[in-house]
Amino acid sequence: MTSRDAQIVSLRNQIASCEVQLQRLRDQLLEAENDRDISSRDTSGQISLGLGEIAPESLPAEASEGSSHQQNGDKVVKLWPLDKHEYRRYGRQLIMPEIGLTGQLRLKSSSVLVVGAGGLGCPAAAYLAGAGVGMIGLIDGDTVEESNLHRQILHSTERVAMPKVDSAIASLRSLNPTVKYIPYHTRLTAEIALDIFEKYDVILDCTDTPASRYLISDACVLSQKPLVSASALRTDGQLMVLNNPPLPPGHAQGGPCYRCVFPKPPPAASVVSCGDGGILGPVVGTMGVLQALETIKIIAKGIQRYSDFDSTYLQKGLPSGNSVPDPHRLSEPPSLLLFSAFSNPPFRSIRLRTRKAKCSACSAQTTVTREALKSGSLDYVQFCGAVSPVDALAATERVSVEEYSRIRDGSIPAEDTKTMPTEHILVDVREKVQFELCNLDGSMNIPYSIVARSSSSESGKPSSQAPSEDDWVAQLRTLANDKPIYVVCRLGNDSQLAVRKMKEMGLDSGGTRWIGDIRNGLRAWMKRIDPDFPEY
Amino acid sequence: MASHWPPPGHFALLYFAAASEFTRRSVENIPAPIHATGLFGVIEQRYPGITDKVLSSCAVTVNLQYVDLDGDDAADKDLIIQEGDEVAIIPPVSSG
Repeated sequence: MTSRDAQIVSLRNQIASCEVQLQRLRDQLLEAENDRDISSRDTSGQISLGLGEIAPESLPAEASEGSSHQQNGDKVVKLWPLDKHEYRRYGRQLIMPEIGLTGQLRLKSSSVLVVGAGGLGCPAAAYLAGAGVGMIGLIDGDTVEESNLHRQILHSTERVAMPKVDSAIASLRSLNPTVKYIPYHTRLTAEIALDIFEKYDVILDCTDTPASRYLISDACVLSQKPLVSASALRTDGQLMVLNNPPLPPGHAQGGPCYRCVFPKPPPAASVVSCGDGGILGPVVGTMGVLQALETIKIIAKGIQRYSDFDSTYLQKGLPSGNSVPDPHRLSEPPSLLLFSAFSNPPFRSIRLRTRKAKCSACSAQTTVTREALKSGSLDYVQFCGAVSPVDALAATERVSVEEYSRIRDGSIPAEDTKTMPTEHILVDVREKVQFELCNLDGSMNIPYSIVARSSSSESGKPSSQAPSEDDWVAQLRTLANDKPIYVVCRLGNDSQLAVRKMKEMGLDSGGTRWIGDIRNGLRAWMKRIDPDFPEY
Repeated sequence: MASHWPPPGHFALLYFAAASEFTRRSVENIPAPIHATGLFGVIEQRYPGITDKVLSSCAVTVNLQYVDLDGDDAADKDLIIQEGDEVAIIPPVSSG
């Protein structure tokens, strides 16, 4: 077959294909015209679709436009409350009584702010976009990293280094282009929180620090927004719906806030991030999905407003005559859901108390005011304790990775030793599971968690919980006591504390044996000495 | 942690997140009855240092109900933890 023959065949095929498509369009046009004629005949007798009959509760103004009729020449064209494609797209949830037309219209007219586009925010935003929430705001100042991808399901390999907010919105848009997405390429701060929150109906806390949790809770109380808060670490997660109903501070019927449940932040040194502690993708995913679920429940049911409660009800806790809140719309009692993936049962639901009488944010005695928040005078980082990098050792107790590399090569002798240059002890204080991932040849593993638990002989009798004079100490003592000990960890923090502890335990033989750490740990080793050493 | 029934004369104490990392256990049995306000003292005796490092920021629940033990006028300051109760120490988890 010549190339011209091939061209002819190809063109014939294209024409045939276009004709099929043309015919399909003609059929659709005909169908649409028929529908129009039928509906205008129907509505000539019956004017109102009566959305009120379907949805007796008040509907958002925007949504109720759908019940009106437009004059089209002399024909009256009926408009359905939802677009035709929306009946198809949301059909599977529309036919559920928990959602129905009313719930879908509420979703459509609602706006949700997702603070944090990470392990929680990605699944939460995906399901909210899928469900047809009208507007979704995403706030995050980070960029996508490869180590995010195992759990942050809106990002992708080719979008590493892209701002998380842009990456997430790209995915969400392909999932549901009819939602309006608002990007905020920044970390949430106290100064901007209220202005942003005011534009939304529900706020999702998908962040990862104690400071942001208190800030978001306070801003939700002040702007009177329900807060769906979740967190996850390792194999555990927590979920709470807070400040729901979102009544002003001092109203006992309002839902408790984060400060009511956790009035005191955890000690800064004890706060573990997913980067340090680890996180299983489906664990944080579960919590994010549950956030989306709670948000959909809140919106579909109709957010309770201050105006739903009258003063009698608020003061006496009793419904009064003409403004009894619809029992179907009453918020669920507040609870804290605990998820422990490796426990049985994996879920526990804790009943929470109502607002705390002396809560500093949501009680009548509040000290958290709009002015204080906006002016930045509430220092959340300070409230939660700033984590300063560990700086426990003197310069003479530390070596750089370059120096240590030369010591390993034998090109310079190890500290304070007259033995063979390479003769030293390298102690890796990362946890066993990390040590097994990768380690330097010849290193021995003594996890910092074990080092930290050991009580030094000076501190008196060993506690009943600690095993008798710890194996690791005995082990190090039996090794030649003149060999210097180099301590290494992942980043160079635990290694310093381990050196301190070892000296407290007297392993430096009264100062004759050198013990010190390798500055900035194995991360620096990978960056500056051995680029093939695995980074995780 | 598995569902746990404490032996007679005891209540079950569950540790979550940072609390279970500190104690290196997820559950143990403690003699009952005790005053709820004395709970942290009992735990501190077993795990010196745990109050400052973990407990001070934790929520406490008794039989899946949050209890308020914070301050002199705390709502549950008179609560007695009884034999057979399930008590949980729940540290705030902030990462995500």
